[in-house]
Amino acid sequence: MTRRRIALLLTALVATSGVLPLLLLAVFGLQILRDRGERASQEALEAIAAQAGTRIATYIVQQREMLRAIGTAVADEADAARRLADVSLDAPSLGKLRLVSTETSPRELPRMLNREQIAAALRGNEVASETYIAELSPAMDVCVPSGKLGRAVCATLDLLELQRQVQRIRIGEQGYALAFDRTGRLVAAGSGAMRAAVLSGEPVAESALASGLVNGTPAPTRLRSGDGRDVLAGWTSLPNLGWSIAVEQPAEEALRGARTALKFLASGAVLTLLISIAVGSAFARRMLTSLELEERFKTAGRIATGVTHDLGHRLTILQQIEQLAAMNDADYLPRIRESLAGEVSTLRRFVADFSDLTREAKPADFLPIELNAFAESVRLGAQGYAKEANVTIELQPAPSKLWVRGDRYLLERAALNLTRNAIEASKPGSAVRLRIERGNGAAVLAVEDRGQGVEPDRIATLFESFSSTKRTGAHVGMGLPNVRRIAVAHGGTVSVKSKPGEGSTFTLSLPVSGDQSSSPLAPATMP
Amino acid sequence: MLLTAFIGCTAPPVPPVVVTVALWGPLGELAPTGSEPALASIAQPWVYDKLVTVDANGELKPILASRLERVSNQQVRIELRPDATFSDGAPVTDADVVRSLESDGLSVAPAAGALVIQSRQPGLPIDALLLQAYVFRESQGRVVGSGPFAVASQSASELRLNRRIPRPGRVNEVRLTAYKTPRDAFAHTLKGDANLIIDVEPRSVEFFRDVPSLQIIHGAGRSTDALVFNPALARPDRVQLAEALASTQLRELAYGATECAEKATTPRSDVSLGTGRGLRILSWGPFERLALATRRILAARGGEIRHVTPQQALSLIAGGAFDMVTARPLRWPPGSMALVWRTGSPYNIFGYSNRTVDRALENGDWAAAEAALRDDPPAALVCTHDHIAVVDARIVNPRLGPYETLETLPEWEVAR
Repeated sequence: MTRRRIALLLTALVATSGVLPLLLLAVFGLQILRDRGERASQEALEAIAAQAGTRIATYIVQQREMLRAIGTAVADEADAARRLADVSLDAPSLGKLRLVSTETSPRELPRMLNREQIAAALRGNEVASETYIAELSPAMDVCVPSGKLGRAVCATLDLLELQRQVQRIRIGEQGYALAFDRTGRLVAAGSGAMRAAVLSGEPVAESALASGLVNGTPAPTRLRSGDGRDVLAGWTSLPNLGWSIAVEQPAEEALRGARTALKFLASGAVLTLLISIAVGSAFARRMLTSLELEERFKTAGRIATGVTHDLGHRLTILQQIEQLAAMNDADYLPRIRESLAGEVSTLRRFVADFSDLTREAKPADFLPIELNAFAESVRLGAQGYAKEANVTIELQPAPSKLWVRGDRYLLERAALNLTRNAIEASKPGSAVRLRIERGNGAAVLAVEDRGQGVEPDRIATLFESFSSTKRTGAHVGMGLPNVRRIAVAHGGTVSVKSKPGEGSTFTLSLPVSGDQSSSPLAPATMP
Repeated sequence: MLLTAFIGCTAPPVPPVVVTVALWGPLGELAPTGSEPALASIAQPWVYDKLVTVDANGELKPILASRLERVSNQQVRIELRPDATFSDGAPVTDADVVRSLESDGLSVAPAAGALVIQSRQPGLPIDALLLQAYVFRESQGRVVGSGPFAVASQSASELRLNRRIPRPGRVNEVRLTAYKTPRDAFAHTLKGDANLIIDVEPRSVEFFRDVPSLQIIHGAGRSTDALVFNPALARPDRVQLAEALASTQLRELAYGATECAEKATTPRSDVSLGTGRGLRILSWGPFERLALATRRILAARGGEIRHVTPQQALSLIAGGAFDMVTARPLRWPPGSMALVWRTGSPYNIFGYSNRTVDRALENGDWAAAEAALRDDPPAALVCTHDHIAVVDARIVNPRLGPYETLETLPEWEVAR
């Protein structure tokens, strides 16, 4: 695994364990913020609607109070008709005032008041019609007592001012107010696109909700408006007047602030995550580099220790040979020659072990290798060493050909290492077995010996560098770590099973590469 | 890439804009003449041409005439534009002009390649008469004009007009649609069925504010709400009444502070209306509030107000049964004063007569005529309203007037 990948993994780990929970927290926070933003907008709209409702109710009350005052003050005067007519100059919203009595012609009676209402007015009661659209603006017929039974002062209140008030309510750039009468008819609209319905009387999307509200059914605070937009709405109803007021604002505009905050915070969270990943990655890589450097120093120390120990041992032997040679005794010459040959051989292997460490496996250069033939080649290669140790090497091939792909040189070095270790561990006269088989989808080369076996507490560190217990001369502890390095480089593994006093089995498992018998590259055989 | 370049370089086509005018009441027949103008008459300036019109300064401007020479205040000499044709393709001839103008109280005499036109009503300035006279000809039972539009179809509720030669970026089709009530006309305009409505009262303008598809436009009014005096009232009385009534006080009482085009004037506190009987005020149509306000300003001299129908008003005026009557006399262009106030003018229904005024009008001396009218006032001029119209927002430069309300419609540009 490369340093970069390790760094990324470390960073991902940090991000997952640290930043991701924060991010999730932020998402929840943002959702809460959004919900609260919408609620706050709706509450503001409701407050505006309530305020508009209060103004409208107050306006109506004032108009009727003014009418009552005029009725009481003027109706008994001799020139009452003229004075009532003049009132419209000062209070145009009261419309055309007139005295109504039993003798008034039906054509001159307020058109939206029925007979019973007129009769009640003439008995001294105040009566009022529902609001209606007269000509172009809302109106209401009202009769108030004149102070004399049989006469009432009647007016058609011009509610144009209310219409204007509703139309002038602006919320943000696109928000508006709507006013509905008891039946749900639109009587004033701040939305220009909906204003035709005021005059035509056609219902709009909110009509049913408005009439429901007057009858006590709550109206929704988010809906599709009469002009087809998704809006937030605040409602209020005026039970006495029978009106309901809706103040609407397109959701897009109402939640623009919250949305901007959401985007800002989300961007901040993502940016924080990216920064933490970048910083984490950089720090992880720096840390890994530092660790690697430290590890290299440690490795160099271990190598130096091993090399010092082994070469020191060899140096001691060579000094002894030198002292033997210094005696100039011809009888010692054969012994001196034999000893020197042995030491040269040992140093050669020593150098070869180090040389193996410098060779990297390159998957692009891997070639097909038939494992039975390969094992035979290994057996032949180790035959000389086995003979010296008085050990025989047996080969138990797989029943059919078994192919792997690999660097033949490295795999041979690994297999020979395991075989020679097995020979060294074996008692003279015993046998080492090379077994080839297919197991769990892998091609297996097992090397078995009947030697002393490995102590259980040693097995865990057996494949670590410079951990050899032999350290007798040619073993610097690089053999098994190198075997593992070669196995891993081929996508395989190496393992050991051992029982003290009964022997050990080292197993090299490699990926099967299928039948390669037709490969133009014939399996090589060790000479 | 070539295709992209081609598309990129080609201007998108301008969607045709059909102007639909919402009217209320019976549409009537479109005709170049007639004493009872129908609603359809707003299409007159698009279908029929006049010899001349007026510019914003009140100066005569040729339309069908290629050359205009004023011989006297009663007489002009014109030469016809040689390229003018009627919508049936026939060229506009001297004979057509003679036939058309003679039905409008003008006499036309050919003279050496030109036409000499004069009023057949002595004393009425030729300008005022020419401004009302359209040139037309009868063709296969139809009356055709030489204006940019021609009638495509007409029913009781709709008149369709198409531009004779379509022009890019201009209005090429106009429809006049008659609705039963103002409310219907407003509602259909707000709904988008119509996109032009004229004569909108100030109190109704708010309906059209913030309607994205529409725009509100204003034009200077040509007539003034006034109280016309019975000529039988003594001149000193009329002078005093005019001073008292043509005041800011009355204007604001009757119309509010912003509705009138007149500059503020200080009400004359020293005007004494004297004692005497209460003055009878005759009122009709939209003038009820003006009548009430007048009576209040007149105080002790304010008498009975009679609010009647226009027909009743005409009858009462003819009988002299009034002291002052609400009316809306023409004030612009200046020559129109002659139509209203000149002795014997067919439009002078109030019976006003003043030799000094007549003489000034005959001489075309409008300033002198105005001075004479101030000296012997026939009326108290109270409030001149703007024309207000609501029109499709895609029209770039809609203007009203200066003479006929929608006479510039053929020149309106459509937004690209």
